[in-house]
Amino acid sequence: MVTRLLKNRFALPAALLVAVGIGGLLSFATGAGAQGGQANISSGGGVGAGNFNSGVALPPGVGSPNYLGGPKNSGGANSSIRVYAKVDGRRVLVAYGDKDIIYKAPPASFIAAGEALFAQNCASCHGAQAEGSAIAPNLVGVGPATVDFWVSTGRMPATTTNTVQAERKPPRLDATQALEVAAWVNSLSPAVPYVPYPNLKGANVADGADLFALNCAACHTITGLGNALAYGTFAPSLHVATAREVAEAIRTGPANMPRFTGNLNDAQVRDIVAYVTDYIQHPTNIGGAGLGGVGPVAEGFVALLVGVGGLALVSYWIGDRA
Amino acid sequence: MTDVRSGQPPGDGAAGAARPSVPVARLDDPHLQPAARHPRRVEGIVALSFLVGIVCFGGFGGAYWLNAKPWIIGTFFGAGLLALGFGLAAWGKYLMARGPFVEERHHLAGSAAERDAMAAALVQRTGAVVKRRRVLGGLFAAGAGLFGIVALFPLLRSLGPLPGKIFDVTNWRRGSRLVDSNGRPVHVDTLEVGGIMTVFPEGWQNTDEGQAVDQTVLIRVSTLDTVTRPGRETWGPQGYLAYSKVCTHAGCPVGLYEQQLQLLVCPCHQSMFDVLDGAVPRFGPAPRPLPQLPLRVDRSGYLRAQRGYGQPVGPGFFERTTT
Repeated sequence: MVTRLLKNRFALPAALLVAVGIGGLLSFATGAGAQGGQANISSGGGVGAGNFNSGVALPPGVGSPNYLGGPKNSGGANSSIRVYAKVDGRRVLVAYGDKDIIYKAPPASFIAAGEALFAQNCASCHGAQAEGSAIAPNLVGVGPATVDFWVSTGRMPATTTNTVQAERKPPRLDATQALEVAAWVNSLSPAVPYVPYPNLKGANVADGADLFALNCAACHTITGLGNALAYGTFAPSLHVATAREVAEAIRTGPANMPRFTGNLNDAQVRDIVAYVTDYIQHPTNIGGAGLGGVGPVAEGFVALLVGVGGLALVSYWIGDRA
Repeated sequence: MTDVRSGQPPGDGAAGAARPSVPVARLDDPHLQPAARHPRRVEGIVALSFLVGIVCFGGFGGAYWLNAKPWIIGTFFGAGLLALGFGLAAWGKYLMARGPFVEERHHLAGSAAERDAMAAALVQRTGAVVKRRRVLGGLFAAGAGLFGIVALFPLLRSLGPLPGKIFDVTNWRRGSRLVDSNGRPVHVDTLEVGGIMTVFPEGWQNTDEGQAVDQTVLIRVSTLDTVTRPGRETWGPQGYLAYSKVCTHAGCPVGLYEQQLQLLVCPCHQSMFDVLDGAVPRFGPAPRPLPQLPLRVDRSGYLRAQRGYGQPVGPGFFERTTT
């Protein structure tokens, strides 16, 4: 049986095809394409860690210089809609925005719970008053959207400080707890942007696609799968991000991501969010299979394996004597 | 000689009689049996695959009319072709006579008379034959010569006119206002620290030429005036830095900005440029820094170029003189 199999002239090409196919499937399954593509070129004394973008010193108060205002309706407090409330006898901005995105501050009632959560989960690195340390940035005055993004995507609390980049993982704090932490941090020095709630009704997905190609695809790739960047950092996949997380990331610029403010108004951000949560996350693969959306390498691989390999086998069969 | 003109081989009777006759195959010759051991079974398989092909092409037509999803149409089409092809190949392989077949050749050389006639015909008809060839040869030479001349056009075109200064200059001028791809001018409040956008000189934002050579990344790294290199003291007002977006290696758009690492990364070959140090390449194949565009803020708060780049943008070229 075995010798007959070995003598069969199909055996060698078929075995090669199977071997290449299994190898390819394994490399897909382990996600070699998306994030492991680039080696860590140089540790260089911790290029990633400790080099936080502190920008400028942040005096307390809404409208602090971390958000200078910029054009109207671009995520700053100078928006069409502004909602104020009396808190401790002071007039406080609790929400702003327009019909496309409403930015809300977490309610003041969340502050007490947030203080306890911060002490348990965050203070060991960020300090008891969120003032930062050698291994973690100062959080005073970053705005609630930043805190909510990092906590609700599970990136914070980080399990280790030794990674170049905090990765998305199942969040330790739930959505409400994330807002509670954000409420307490914001109470130290209120700042914008508040937590964005995009209104996707009436969004123009086609415009969102154009804006995505222009502003996002360079790093996240045109399919939103993410890509390797410099020094072991990477742009994460957008396929699991919620609408609010996408809006938060655009407006706050977490970690190495640039921050988009005045050059994208709220309507444009809303369009991008709609495109990401619609087409990027639910692509219509005209060919039937997207092959992971990693691009021409995977597609060429399949074409070579199935197409040329299959043709080789067929020509073996036709040319073989009956 | 009349034999030659009429096309009849001379001395046909004598040569034909000399050829050995090919044996007539007998119907019970085992070589004529189908190759398959069970031809009826194979017939069934072939018929089945033809039927599958018929069904698939029917499905293709139906799916096409119903405007079905492309992959459904394609699957029907491909499966139909595959089934027909499989059936045909199996038919030829298993149902045709098994062989092998041997056909003996007759004696190849012609008779002496045939050879003499051939030589005489060549001698006699040379003039006519060569005349005809001359006409054809002339036509062929005309075609080939024309092809040769036409093929020289791209070569001749590449000899001139010389490109002149077009590689050395962009459309950035003294006082050019920075606009985005929609033509909106960039105000000093537009970007926050850590923001990036692609800008063009006003008036060139939607032209092929402008998008190719003028594209510039505008990054805000601070709120304070920023100096990236000695001699560039006034180039980065209020933390705005502008660099050519055309990679100095192969001309790809350098649009990947990492705000903590302060690196601009080229997506094509992973060149990394240090934003705070005049976009000097830190890694990768890029040979030169990205040229920096000197900026200023005008009275209305809009960003303008102090002047053009002052050096060629993008990859090197043969006549490039500045470094």
